[in-house]
Amino acid sequence: MSSFPMLTLLTFLPIIGMVIVMMLPKEKRSLIKITTLVATGLQVVLAGFMWAGFNYSQAGINNPATFQFVERIPWITFDSGSWLGMIKIDYFLGVDGLSAPMVLLTALISFIAAISSWNIERSVKGYFALFLLLDTGMMGTFLALDFFLFYVFWEIMLLPMYFLIGIWGGPRKEYAAIKFFIYTLFGSVFILLVMIGLYLSVNEVTGEGATFHTFNILSMMNPSNYTQDGILSPFNPDNLRFIAFIGLFVGFAIKIPMFPFHTWLPDAHVEAPTPISVILAGVLLKLGAYGIIRFNYSIFPEITRELVWWIALFGMINIIYGAFCAMAQKDFKKLIAYSSVSHMGYVLLGMASLNEVGLGGAVLQMFNHGTITAMLFLLVGVVYDRTHTRGLNDFGGLANNLPVYTGFAIVAFFAAIGLPGLSGFISESFVFLGAFKVESIRLLTIISAAGIVLGAGYMLWTMQRVYLGKLNEKWTDLKDLDFREYTMLVPLAVIVFLLGIFPSIMLDLMNTSINELVNQVTKTDFHSIMSGMK
Amino acid sequence: MNLTSTDYLNILPLLLVGAGILISLTVEMYSKKSVGFLSWFSFLLHLLVAYYSLYTVNNVSSVFGGMMGTGGTVNIFYFIFNFGAAIVALLSMDYIKKAEIYFGEYYILLQSAVLGMMLMASATDLVMVFIGLELMSICFYVLAGFQRKNVRSNEASLKYFLLGSFTTGFIVYGMALIYGASGSLNIQSIFSMLSAESTPILFYVGTLLFIIGFCFKIAAFPFHMWVPDVYQGAPTSVTAMMSTIGKAAAFSALLLIMLPLIGSKNPQTFTPLFTVLSAASMIFGSIVALAQTDIKRMLAYSSIAHAGYMLIGLAAANDTGASGIVFYLAAYAFMNLGAFGIVSLIEGNGDTEGTIESYAGLSDRNPLLAGLLALFMFTLSGLPPFAGFFGKYYVFIASLEAGNVWIAVLGALSSAISAYFYLRIIVVMYFRKSDVASDNIITESHTSLLGIVISAILVIMMGLTPGSIVRLINSF
Amino acid sequence: MVTLEHYLILSGFMFVTGVVGVLTRRNAIVVFMSIELMLNSANLTFVAYSSFLGNVIGQLFVFFVMAVAAAEAAVGLAILIAIYRNKATLNIDEINILKW
Repeated sequence: MSSFPMLTLLTFLPIIGMVIVMMLPKEKRSLIKITTLVATGLQVVLAGFMWAGFNYSQAGINNPATFQFVERIPWITFDSGSWLGMIKIDYFLGVDGLSAPMVLLTALISFIAAISSWNIERSVKGYFALFLLLDTGMMGTFLALDFFLFYVFWEIMLLPMYFLIGIWGGPRKEYAAIKFFIYTLFGSVFILLVMIGLYLSVNEVTGEGATFHTFNILSMMNPSNYTQDGILSPFNPDNLRFIAFIGLFVGFAIKIPMFPFHTWLPDAHVEAPTPISVILAGVLLKLGAYGIIRFNYSIFPEITRELVWWIALFGMINIIYGAFCAMAQKDFKKLIAYSSVSHMGYVLLGMASLNEVGLGGAVLQMFNHGTITAMLFLLVGVVYDRTHTRGLNDFGGLANNLPVYTGFAIVAFFAAIGLPGLSGFISESFVFLGAFKVESIRLLTIISAAGIVLGAGYMLWTMQRVYLGKLNEKWTDLKDLDFREYTMLVPLAVIVFLLGIFPSIMLDLMNTSINELVNQVTKTDFHSIMSGMK
Repeated sequence: MNLTSTDYLNILPLLLVGAGILISLTVEMYSKKSVGFLSWFSFLLHLLVAYYSLYTVNNVSSVFGGMMGTGGTVNIFYFIFNFGAAIVALLSMDYIKKAEIYFGEYYILLQSAVLGMMLMASATDLVMVFIGLELMSICFYVLAGFQRKNVRSNEASLKYFLLGSFTTGFIVYGMALIYGASGSLNIQSIFSMLSAESTPILFYVGTLLFIIGFCFKIAAFPFHMWVPDVYQGAPTSVTAMMSTIGKAAAFSALLLIMLPLIGSKNPQTFTPLFTVLSAASMIFGSIVALAQTDIKRMLAYSSIAHAGYMLIGLAAANDTGASGIVFYLAAYAFMNLGAFGIVSLIEGNGDTEGTIESYAGLSDRNPLLAGLLALFMFTLSGLPPFAGFFGKYYVFIASLEAGNVWIAVLGALSSAISAYFYLRIIVVMYFRKSDVASDNIITESHTSLLGIVISAILVIMMGLTPGSIVRLINSF
Repeated sequence: MVTLEHYLILSGFMFVTGVVGVLTRRNAIVVFMSIELMLNSANLTFVAYSSFLGNVIGQLFVFFVMAVAAAEAAVGLAILIAIYRNKATLNIDEINILKW
C-alpha cells in the first residue's frame, strides 16, 4: 500500500475547506462558494484516483490484509496505570468493495450539492462551513474501520445537518430539524451501547503479546477474538447478542429510514433546502443500509440468518407503504421523499436474500438510488426556484416551455420506475432475482414486486400532472435550464445511462467484496463454537 | 506523626489555599478597595494550586496519621476544584458588580469553600469528611444569600441552609452509627468490617444515612427539592460554583466509601440502592427539565439528571466506574461553568428572569456567545467529540462491565430525551428572531469571556483527547 | 443500670423527633431547632458509643460537631434575620417566590 494518506485526505479535505471558509470575511460570498466547490471538486478527483488505484481482486470485509489504502494509527491510548483505565482507540481507515461505491457516491453528490448551493443567500459563510463539515462526517463514516471512530463521525454528521435544516429550511424547519435530530440520536444511543458491549467482549493481541479490548470492527467479526464471559460474546451462554443485534439494527434502520421509523424523513426533506435534500437522499440514507451490512451482517451473522424473514418483511412494508404514501402526496418533495422510502425497501429486500445477486443488487441500488433521487430533488429545486411552489397540482404542461428540463425529468422518472436501459432497472431486477431464489422470503418478494407497478403508477401520474397536458397560464414565462443547472444534472444523467447499459462498471468494483460478505454471513458459525465450548 | 518535608510538599495545595485565605482576610480587613486585587489574587492562587496538584499527581501518600491522603484521585479532585474556582473567579469579576455584591468577602468565602472541598476529597477519616463538608456548605449558604437585599437570594439561601443542615443531621447520625458498629472513624478500618464474618445491621443503617445525606448534596432524586430553587435564586456565579465543583466535592465523599468497597469481598453491596437512585434521577431530571421556561431552572434539572448518570458509575462499583465518575465530574464542571458563565452575562440586572425566550435571536445579537452556548449544550447532551460524551461513555462502559445492562440502556434513553431540552436553547438562539427588541443588554466582560473560552477549550480538549491534560502536565 | 441500648433508644427518639419537626413545622426557627436536635442526637450516640467502646475518638468528634453547629447557627440566624428584614415573616410557606 502506498504511504500517501489518500483516505485521510479524502475525509479531511472538506475540513481544510471549512477552515479557509471560516477565515474568509463574511462579504466575500463568491470566494466562499468557490472554496467549497474546489474542496468538493478535489474530493471527487481524489475519489477518482482511489478508484483508479483500487485492486478489484481484494475483498476486504473481514480481513484487514485485503482492505485497501489502510491507515491505522493509535488515536486515544491510556496505559493501565492511568487514572482513566485502559482504553485503546485507533484512527483506522480503509476501503473495500462495499465502501468504495459509497465513497464515490459521497464525493459526487457533495460536489453536485455544492453547485446546487450556489443560490443560497442567507449567512453564506455559516452555510458552507457546515456543509463542508457534513461532507467530512459522511466520508469518515464510510471509511472508518474502528467502531469508535465510526461513531464519532456518525454523530459529527448530525450537528451540521441539524443546523442546515434548522436555519436554512422552510417554514416548519424547527420541527423538522428537531425531529431529525431526536430520531437519529435515539438510534445512535443504542449503537453506542452495543459498541461498548462489543468492546468489552472482544480482545485483540498486540505485538508484545498483551491482550486488550478493542474497537476494531474487523476483530469483532472473528469469533475467535471473543472473550469467555463478555456480555456479547458467543461463548457466554447468557449473552445478549440477539438484543444487541436489534438495538444496532434499529439504530441504523432509523437512518434508512425503515418503517415504522420513517416519519422524520418527509418532514426533513420538505423543509430542507434543495442541496440538503439532495445530500439527505443521496448519501445519508445510504449510511443506514451501509451500517447494517457492515456491522449487523458481519458481526452478528448467526442472528442475521435467523432474522432474514423479518428484514424482508420490513423491506416489503417499506416498498408497498412508501409507494401508497407517495401516491397520496400533493407536495412534489414529499412525493420524492416517500418514493425514497419505497426504494430503500428494495435495498432491505436485497439484503435479506443473503446471496451474491441480492446483496450486490442492494448495494447497487444504494448507489443508483443516490444518483436518481439526487437528480429528482434537483429537478424539484429547479422549478421551485422559479415558481416558489411545490404543489403537484399547481403545475401542468411544463414540457411546452421547458423542453430540456422535461427531458432530464423524464430520464430521472423513468430511472426511478426502473425502465430497462437505465440504472434503476439493473439494481431492482438484481434485488428481485436474488430474493426470489430464497425459498423463505419468496412470498414477500412476490408481494414486493407489486411495488414496481405502484411505483410506475405514481411516477407516471406525477409526470402527467406536472409536465404533460395544457400549460398552466401562470408559468408561461419560465426559463429553461441555465448553465449551472446543466452542470448539476448532466453528470447524474450520464451516470444513470451508463450504469443502465454497463452496470459492470460498478458491479466489478464490489463483486469480490460481496462474495466475501456472503461467505462471511452465511458461513461464519458462532453457534458451533458455542456448542463446542460447552 | 511528624510531617516530613515530602509530606509538606504533598499537602502544599491545602497549605497554599489556607494561606491564601489568611492573606485575603488580612488584605480585606485593612483596605476597603481591595476587591479588584482579591479577584485576581483568587484566580492566580487557584490556578497555581490547580497546576501544582496535577504536577504532583503521582505523589500518593497518607499524612496526618492516616487522616488524609494525597496524590492520585485526590489531586485530580484538587485540580477540578481549583481550576473550576479559578474560572468562577474570572466569571465573577464583572458579574458581582452587576449583581451589586461587589464585596471582598465574596472571594474569601469562595476560597474557603474550595478549602472545604479539598479537605473532603483528601479525607480518609470521617472527621475530615465532616469538617470539609461543613466548611464548604457554610460558605455556600452565605454565598447563596449574598444579595442580601434581594428576596430571591434570601429565599434560596434559607432553603439551602435548612435542607443543607437537615442533611448534615443525617450524615452525622449516620457517622455515629458507623462509628458504633466499627469502633473507628478511619475509612479503611471501617470497611475492613465488610470482610468480617458478619456485618452488624447498624453499619448498614449508618452507611445508608450517610449515602442519603450525600445524595442531597449531589442533587439526586428524590433528595433534589432544593436544587431548582437554590440554583435559580442564588447569584449566577455562585450557582455555577455550587452546581459544578460543589457537586464534585460531594461525589468525592461518596467515592470515598465506594473505593474501599471495590476491593472488598462484596463490592456490589449498595448497587441496588444506587441503581434505583440513578434511574430515578435520570428520568425525573430529564423529563421535568423539558417543561422549564427559566434557563437556570432548566440547568438545575439537567444537573439532577447528570447526577443520575454519575450514579451509574457508583452502581457499577468497579474501577472503571470510579475513574468514569471523576472524568464525568471534570467534564461536567467545565461544561456547566461555561453555560452558567454565559447565563450570567445574558441575564438582566435585578428581577429580570432568565427565561429561555430571552435567548431568541442570540445568534444575530452575539454570534460568539451563541456559538459557545451551543457548544456547551451539545456537550451537555453528550454528543461526541466533546467532553460530555466521554463522561457518559465511561460510566456506561463501567456499568456494562459490571453486568448492569438495564441501567445503561435507561441512561442512553434518558440522554436521548435530554437532548430535546438542550436543543431547545439552540433552536431559540438560532432559529428564532428576537421579537422583543432585546431589552436585556448583554454584559460586556472580557474576564467572563476568558473564563467561558477556557471552559470551552477544556471541553473540546477532553473530548478529542481525554487524558491529554494530565499527560501534558506530567511531561514537564 | 443504664446500658448502651438506653442511650441509643433515646438518641434514636431524639433523631426521629428532629426529622419530624423539620418536616412538619412551618416556622423557620423551629425547623432550625429541630435540626439542632438531630445533631445532638448524633452527639449523644457518639458519646455513648465512645464510653461503651472505651475509645476516645467519638468524644473528639462531638467537639467538632458542636463547634460546627455553632458556626452553622451563626450563619443560619444571620440568614433568618436577612429574610425577616425583607419579608417580615419566617413562615416557610410564605417564603415562596421560587416554587418549591
